[in-house]
Amino acid sequence: MSPLRRTPVADRPLSCGEVGKVLQRYLDGHVDELTAEKVAEHLEDCRRCGLELTVYTEIKASLARQSPEIPETALDRLRRFGEQLIDRSPEPEPLDGPPDTEPD
Amino acid sequence: MLTDDEAFERHVLPEVEVMLRVAMSLTRNTADAEDLVQDTMIRAYGAIGRFDGRHPRAWLLTILRNANINRHRRRRPELIRDADRADRLLESETPHASAEDVVVGETFDATVQSALDHLPDRFRRVVELVDIDGLGYQEAADVLGVPIGTVMSRLHRARQRIRTRLAAAGLVPGKH
Repeated sequence: MSPLRRTPVADRPLSCGEVGKVLQRYLDGHVDELTAEKVAEHLEDCRRCGLELTVYTEIKASLARQSPEIPETALDRLRRFGEQLIDRSPEPEPLDGPPDTEPD
Repeated sequence: MLTDDEAFERHVLPEVEVMLRVAMSLTRNTADAEDLVQDTMIRAYGAIGRFDGRHPRAWLLTILRNANINRHRRRRPELIRDADRADRLLESETPHASAEDVVVGETFDATVQSALDHLPDRFRRVVELVDIDGLGYQEAADVLGVPIGTVMSRLHRARQRIRTRLAAAGLVPGKH
């Protein structure tokens, strides 16, 4: 559900309070199109909310920089492990395979 | 119609890196993470015939979560992230933001890391999955086994706490 659906927002600008409630979801791309448009509209004119968005954007970017490096050797081993699971599985029976050996 | 092997190759193998990243967040240890992903792949291989092919990442992350719950190995306490380094950096003098500045740099990152390390586990895990590992809200909810609303609430409150620490350190303006 749209976070702003309870109030008729289509025809009026959003208040700072309304923007504050959805700002983090907006940052994460988890708001609907109408909400995103209204927030972007508000941010064009409101320095205070714009600064708030900058703060959260920088926090998110800083956290992304803390992503631990994935060890390539571990990744390679796991990919080989997955491939071996496939290789080890029994061969499927060919469609027009061996003659029926069931006893009569 | 795909064979089980083809389905595994198409839906599971491309997600190995995401699974390893999430497993590292959950176990905080590369060896344990690798074991967990292997376990997940074995379970996924056994269940691939019943998988409908929709949202493979969500399906795999749910399997990974269940595999993690069933693991009895005690998690070792070494942290992947260097909290000591963060604390050392924080001991140095901190620049102060003016009313409309955001001071981004090594101290900013160290403060964020320190704030993250001090969050309650239930908040920290959501931040790690979404902001560090790059999962969406629903994917994080699948890993944690909680409703998506809980993920949003915890994530937003966690970031607010990090923001408060940054403001206290003079790196971002205080909230109006």
